[in-house]
Amino acid sequence: MSNPYIVLPIIFQLFLAILLMFCWTQKNLQKLVSTVGSLIAVAIAVIMFAQVWKSGTLVTQAGNWGAPFGITFVADTFSVLMVLLTTLSGLAVSVFSVGAVRNARVKFGYFPILHFLIMGLCGAFLAGDIFNLYVWFEIIIISSFVLITIGGEKAQLEGSIKYVTMNLLASVVFLTAIAVLYGLTGSLNMADLSLKVAEIENRGLVNVTAILFLVGFGIKSAVFPLYFWLPASYHTPPPAISAIFGGLLTKVGIYALLRVFTLIFIPDAFMITLISIMAALTILSGGIGAMIQNNIRKIFSYLIICHIGFMLAGLGMYTELAILGTVFYLVHDIIVKTNLFMVSGLIFKIKGTYSLRLLGGFYKDYPKLSLLMAIPLFSLVGIPPLSGFWAKFYLIRGGLEVDNLVLVGFIILGSFLTLFIIARFWSEAFWKTGEELPKKLKVKYYHELKPLKQKAMVVSILFLAFISLGIGLGAEYVIQVASRVAEELMNPQSYIEAVLGKL
Amino acid sequence: MKTIIFQTASNYLLPLLLLFSVFILLRGHYLPGGGFVGGLIASIAFVIHSFANGLEKTRSIIKFHPGFLMPVGLVFAIGAGAAPWFVGQPFMTGLWFEDPIPVIGMVGSALFFDTGVFLVVIGVSLTIIFTISETL
Amino acid sequence: MNLYDYLYYVILPVLAICTIIIFARFLMGPTLSDRVVALDLLLTTGIGIIAVYSIHTDQPTFLDIAMILALIAFLGTVAFSYYLEKREKNE
Repeated sequence: MSNPYIVLPIIFQLFLAILLMFCWTQKNLQKLVSTVGSLIAVAIAVIMFAQVWKSGTLVTQAGNWGAPFGITFVADTFSVLMVLLTTLSGLAVSVFSVGAVRNARVKFGYFPILHFLIMGLCGAFLAGDIFNLYVWFEIIIISSFVLITIGGEKAQLEGSIKYVTMNLLASVVFLTAIAVLYGLTGSLNMADLSLKVAEIENRGLVNVTAILFLVGFGIKSAVFPLYFWLPASYHTPPPAISAIFGGLLTKVGIYALLRVFTLIFIPDAFMITLISIMAALTILSGGIGAMIQNNIRKIFSYLIICHIGFMLAGLGMYTELAILGTVFYLVHDIIVKTNLFMVSGLIFKIKGTYSLRLLGGFYKDYPKLSLLMAIPLFSLVGIPPLSGFWAKFYLIRGGLEVDNLVLVGFIILGSFLTLFIIARFWSEAFWKTGEELPKKLKVKYYHELKPLKQKAMVVSILFLAFISLGIGLGAEYVIQVASRVAEELMNPQSYIEAVLGKL
Repeated sequence: MKTIIFQTASNYLLPLLLLFSVFILLRGHYLPGGGFVGGLIASIAFVIHSFANGLEKTRSIIKFHPGFLMPVGLVFAIGAGAAPWFVGQPFMTGLWFEDPIPVIGMVGSALFFDTGVFLVVIGVSLTIIFTISETL
Repeated sequence: MNLYDYLYYVILPVLAICTIIIFARFLMGPTLSDRVVALDLLLTTGIGIIAVYSIHTDQPTFLDIAMILALIAFLGTVAFSYYLEKREKNE
């Protein structure tokens, strides 16, 4: 079905960024506009989700040029689900930024760039054209370059060098893959590609292209041999920025992998084995990496890698049930990871350190906040009523269905590693009796902030914690959504028909 | 630079180059040119003027901070993109006025989009160049 | 010998040899100012080549490129001399 308004989430974020650029110097106005605008963006995303849920995949052709030639935007259930999650964590981060981002950074255009980043994310999720997807990736990485360097501290610049280098490399690989694919098929529209790639006789060349895509997206989503840039850079920018990075940027890579490998390249036995091995090693290396770290943000960075492995494992199993698990995990992980980095920011604001060894006694001093922080931490582990449990449950069931016991074993191992890490984190930071830490002059402590800023930080964490609880307790509804997404992904006919018309 | 030839020349070059940049912008639809090149030429005009007469004098000609042109240009571009929505067409569909306007020719939403690009390019390049030459 | 042959067999080779000689000067040039002048001349020769090529292929669009190149060459030379002057002042 055609609906010209599905690009509205993208355009609205652009509009917000422009509005914020107009009030470049008034920082309080910027905070207000960003918060209110993000609320409206969530409302738009909810309306769009409801519409797609009711009437199926929506399509628009930008510039009114017909399907395989123009640029197509497609909103199927997966896309709108991701847009909804993006706007939700965007809202939380923009509220958190009100409290946590220093005025010097706001003066250099923090808020406009944040909204450009969210615009790029929404665009990547809605793009129905593989080159357009690349363009949105570029918008995402260019805004993230600005965000990761803004403020210009030494550690930040050091981290950003690694980040920028690896992401540019990923873009080069991705672009090369697109060029090869265009040479093979003469088309860039994803639905059209899906039909044309299936007809190519030289399967070897198709597989090489598929591996190029796997490498390009693999660097972006930090899978096993290509993840080293992530823990080297994600702990350097301010917590609000690493929240949106940790929550969403790697997940775009997973989204793109899911889209490309269900629609364009249907993996054969070799690809499935390759993806499974990568997934298993990602889980292992992320989990072991997190165990030996001391900086809490580095722990969370390694946990991102570990859980990227879970999602890749779902793709490696390649059944509808496993994809359901992956989508559920994606939903759970975006919310929880965003929240975790915000939690780490709040801990830093209160204690003035990220070091796990120095932290302690948090539960005694702040019992209510500790209980609040327990929700995202234990959702991550997957304690039954919380959101992570159901996701892992479906992944494991998917693995048992195809008798991929090795991968199931790795998922269980990864869960235990996560449990161990979070338990260690909890006992070190919250239960251990902490000593009085020396005051740092450069840090603006939590109790020195204005009450409004304090509330902003707590409310944003509370908001995402409620969503995690909602996902856990209302798992039935999320499963409905995820199963519909999985069904649409595994049977791309409806997607192709929506874009190209009835065949 | 204190050379009277260059200073005099730059005073005449500024309006000439600005006119040329608008010309390049307008013919960009079917022939080489367009918003990006036009914007670069316009910013070159200001840069030459600032070399000849000093940064302060160029600032006083422009009167506002060039960075302000960025959001203004983006408003033009987003407006041109979103205009087709109001007649129920997909985003960025080209809408055209029925009669050509003298000198300019046919005017459509593409021209407004290009004007947006033109302004953004001027804003960005002048902001960069002014910031760099300030710190030197 | 018509105009096209004249352009092709006389003017273009002359310009090409000029380019080589100027490039030698650009490489040798004892001072920075020599190099800046050589670079300016190099670009001017380039403009000449574009103009000849434009006549030869009967493509007026190439003249625009020559125009823009002239503008950039001028700006480059001015910028170079601006900073040369500034450097001398600082020393």
